[in-house]
Amino acid sequence: MQKISHAEVRMYRLGTGDCFAIKFFSKEKEEPVCKLMIDAGTWSGSGTDLEPYIKDLKQYLDNYADVLIVTHEHKDHVHAFDVCKELFTEKDTKGKQFEVGELWMGWTENDRLKKVKEWKEDYGEKKKALGIAALTLQETMASPEFKKQFEGNRDAAKMLGARETFGKVLNGFADLHVAFEASSTGKVYKGGLAGMEVVKKDIKKKEVKYYKPGDVIQGIGNVEGIRIYVLGPPELQEEIAQEAGGEGESYQHNKVLRESDTFGAAILHLAGNDNGMDAGVLPFDEKYYDIDKRLEYIQEPEGKEAILKEVDSMDTIKKIYEAKDWRRIDYDWLFSAGAFALRMNGLTNNLSLAVAIEFVDSGRVMLFPGDAEFGSWASWHTIDWKEDDRSNGNTDGKKQKHLTEDLLNRTVFYKVAHHLSHNGTAQRLGLEMMKHKDLAAMATLDYNKINDGWTSTMPNRSLIKELLLRTRGRLMIMNEEGLFYDFNEEVPMKDKIEDARNSMTDKERKAFEKDFISNKRYLQYTVKA
Amino acid sequence: MNAIQPNTVKKPAFRSLKAYAFDPSLSLKIDTAGINQLVYKVPWEDLDTGPSGEYIEVVDYDPTVKKYFKPVDLNHPYLLAQNGLDPSESNPQFHQQMVYAVAMTTIMNFEKALGRKILWAPRLLEDRAKFEEYVQKLRIYPHALREANAYYSPVKKSLLFGYFSSFPANNVIHMPDALVFTCLSHDIIAHETTHAILDGMQYHYNEPSNPDVLAFHEAFADIVALFQHFTFPSVLQHQIAQTRGDLGSQNLLGKLAQEFGAAIGNYGSLRDAIGEIDEKTKEWKPREPNPNDYKREMEPHARGSILVAAVFEAFITIYKSRVADLLRIATNGTGILPQGDLHPDLVNRLSGEASAAASHVLSMCIRALDYCPPVDITFGEYLRAIITADADLVNNDSRNYRLAFIDAFRRRGIYPEGIKTLSEESLRYAQEPFLGQQQQDFFGVLLKFLKEFRDATIYTKDRAEIYRLSKSHISGSTTSEGLNKKIVFSMEDPGEFEKLTGLVFLTQNWEQYGVRTSPKYKGPSFRIENLRLVSRVGPDGDQLNYIIFSLTQRAGVIVNEDGTISTYVPDDAQEPPKRGFECWGGCTMIFDMANPSLRYAITKPLLDPDKLRQGIRQLNEKRILKQFRYQTEEAILHLSEQSLYFGAGINNNFNEPFAFLHNH
Repeated sequence: MQKISHAEVRMYRLGTGDCFAIKFFSKEKEEPVCKLMIDAGTWSGSGTDLEPYIKDLKQYLDNYADVLIVTHEHKDHVHAFDVCKELFTEKDTKGKQFEVGELWMGWTENDRLKKVKEWKEDYGEKKKALGIAALTLQETMASPEFKKQFEGNRDAAKMLGARETFGKVLNGFADLHVAFEASSTGKVYKGGLAGMEVVKKDIKKKEVKYYKPGDVIQGIGNVEGIRIYVLGPPELQEEIAQEAGGEGESYQHNKVLRESDTFGAAILHLAGNDNGMDAGVLPFDEKYYDIDKRLEYIQEPEGKEAILKEVDSMDTIKKIYEAKDWRRIDYDWLFSAGAFALRMNGLTNNLSLAVAIEFVDSGRVMLFPGDAEFGSWASWHTIDWKEDDRSNGNTDGKKQKHLTEDLLNRTVFYKVAHHLSHNGTAQRLGLEMMKHKDLAAMATLDYNKINDGWTSTMPNRSLIKELLLRTRGRLMIMNEEGLFYDFNEEVPMKDKIEDARNSMTDKERKAFEKDFISNKRYLQYTVKA
Repeated sequence: MNAIQPNTVKKPAFRSLKAYAFDPSLSLKIDTAGINQLVYKVPWEDLDTGPSGEYIEVVDYDPTVKKYFKPVDLNHPYLLAQNGLDPSESNPQFHQQMVYAVAMTTIMNFEKALGRKILWAPRLLEDRAKFEEYVQKLRIYPHALREANAYYSPVKKSLLFGYFSSFPANNVIHMPDALVFTCLSHDIIAHETTHAILDGMQYHYNEPSNPDVLAFHEAFADIVALFQHFTFPSVLQHQIAQTRGDLGSQNLLGKLAQEFGAAIGNYGSLRDAIGEIDEKTKEWKPREPNPNDYKREMEPHARGSILVAAVFEAFITIYKSRVADLLRIATNGTGILPQGDLHPDLVNRLSGEASAAASHVLSMCIRALDYCPPVDITFGEYLRAIITADADLVNNDSRNYRLAFIDAFRRRGIYPEGIKTLSEESLRYAQEPFLGQQQQDFFGVLLKFLKEFRDATIYTKDRAEIYRLSKSHISGSTTSEGLNKKIVFSMEDPGEFEKLTGLVFLTQNWEQYGVRTSPKYKGPSFRIENLRLVSRVGPDGDQLNYIIFSLTQRAGVIVNEDGTISTYVPDDAQEPPKRGFECWGGCTMIFDMANPSLRYAITKPLLDPDKLRQGIRQLNEKRILKQFRYQTEEAILHLSEQSLYFGAGINNNFNEPFAFLHNH
């Protein structure tokens, strides 16, 4: 057995989004004993933009990863696989091709399971609805009719502005989930994210494995000395659906409703994606709106007269409605897409394959939760760990600590979930259990490349405060530029982090400076085994 | 008056319309099916199809499918003969009938308590010279959204109701994927209508300058919806019988939006004024007041529910004291009711008391609106308004109503600022503030003018005319100069008027205090809003004849990094400077016309009142810092997920602020 001495965790600076390469070393050899890659995504960027980073990563891994983990299907986790497809799937000038030993994904990606397949088809429809809603809103807002409804109002420009912001953010959420294509008329909906397809179909690999919570993987490849505990995605629908806990559970609590199927149906109908007006779309029987049709069938003069009167009254209502632009409500309903988008976002985040990597000898743990939100975090604490032998440190008659809690207690490296957002890290069931004095954290946040709507939730101030306290400044953010510690944007994040680092002892400080490398392509931190 | 028309049938007083007492879900349960269908009695008015009348117009256009639904003609002889259409979820015409019936009932309850006609908030125009435009009818769109939500849009002066497919917590509570229409819920209609009415009365209450403002809007809307349950005798009797007279136990009357709550995955109604379902045991339990909630809870609906609970508790206390004697008689003094059903006579009498108490409590809550400051309301100030308004009308509080309110607020840690004790005397706003000779002369001029206003409007019943008269008396017309100029030009001692109102009325250098120069004259700009006539009769026959208006003024203030405060002059065409925002001051002036005098000046001062007394004119730093802290920190911390991602921040009134369920 190779004794692992340390691991190098490298975070590539592609922009807000995850792309990690991790090399494990033993004392005996200079070469790494095994290599792990997690995700390759970012919020935006072309192939040319990302090429230097991916080339660097390939060189660092020497074109081979024993394991590639793809946490979940969001653009900020798979985008580079799409735009840098050739780099991942074709031979380079030296004839070398990128290859992985095993591809690991959550059980929710295993399309061979009937339950997964059905759910994914339904979910795919919803994603499509989200994409179409975003497109529709964008087109609508560009139309003169849309602007007309605010004309003459006090603060018309601000009202319009608020909606434009909304449209931009919605587009961001749509981009995160589905792909669009340029067309003569603008953008059109294309389908799922291509990056995920590249991973599943095109990258050269020996084996694909799907994991569920409670799985314990002994070692990577033939290297023992490390053990991987699978925490998420949860197996219950309810847990996937829960993105935020109550007060004290996540750094902010909120309730977002389940997406309404009625909304999705109307949106899909709008885009001509179903066969005419079926009963599923309309809330009422057709006799209440298609009055004219009935004229054909009714022969009695009284009946005809009554119907003509009805037609007349409908015309009157129509005139009232169309008379005043400022009271029209043609587009208000499209803004329900906001709740819809948030829900989809939270759901997908909770599908993240979340893993805890344990150095067996020392018990030190590295936590890579993907973008798991509260529902996933909470479910980790109810996992039935069959191999519960690592948590028996305190069996003197007391109730044994749950292995998950124990793993969190022993965490020395935490990849901050969901880019420092308010609900990406559980409070009581997460960060507050990370008590190790060596705790360090890396966060994949970069204000230069980020979705418009995200800047208001990332970073979450309370979370930053807690992280700085617990890591004593060993918080490494992809790009500190443009980030502030306070609401009024007066204390730059950089200064505050520097401040927090002063609380380390000289020895710790020196060690940290030695372990931490930062350059324009990546940040790297060495985790002692 | 109408000319005498012999041999004609008189117009009916009411139009009877069938509708649900709560919502369709209760018609599916054996024990409540019988009481859920009600006949609402709406004051008769000439109606067009829609229905469209004096106050509201229902426009049933569904933008999600681009269809108009056939409008109901409530004048159809068949419908007149059978109290309208039968309740039905699948007939949109019934939906139109129900929103009309419930919205009108809500409006009438307000008018009864207020003693005057209600007006919708005018539409604010881009053209500053015209400023605003009268809105005759509130528009109701029963099928406007596909979402579990409904809202009042202050910009469109419309109620938008949504429908959605349900997703209950389990299939026993509600049928999954069934369509749920928010426009079929009495509570949701009454709630949203109340938002619209309140916006018409207190237009600044949608500006979140402190955590209570939006919460107040929500609470008030819930209070009206809840207490309207008590105006339905059959429902009340049924619930009294079922709870054996104990309205503090679980009952339908204290619950809000039952079907909606179940359909979105709750284990019971959306909100409940007296209790909650325990998440573990799934059993209902009464909720104990917790003063920490008021300190901590910032989300408007949740914070509002603290106020709702306080008012409901006051009601329960009042009800209990009113029925104590009945229970003693019924139990021979033991206080222990016999087993089995209550005697129907006792149920009747108890219901009568409950209905009277509820109607009093609701009236107290509504009347208090006239005694609130025009801006930046807090729950504590609302308590003071309730006490003052009630004491004004009802001299002899023989049943301790006011004490019940004070106690219920105290138990929730809601205390007004700036009073020394929590007694009725301290809570009541100071009557007839002391005025020097010059001030008396000044108010003499104002009172004379207000009398003219009263004479012009007192018998006016037409709402458009009331609006026109009040507007012309404020800003003047070709023939008279209007209240605004009266105040500016008759004021002899601005300093004294500043002490009274807390607003800036200096004759020079007002811009130093961040106050704009009036476009009409050389002086500090201020606005007069909501000039109105109030006439009420108390239970002892005491008559009240008041004229009320509000003065408002805004100042541009900057909170500097070192905590000091400086000012800027607001300009609507420009963004405020960094760390700058607008702080509103206001004063509600209440004049007694029977005994011509200024009765109350209820103020939310821009200037520091303590400093003013010492002769120092200085902006009210405490208020400014409080607003700054709230808007830059506290509120942001508690923004909903949706506002966080999609909104432009806390001060963004340009989206829709009055959703039934908070995710905007």
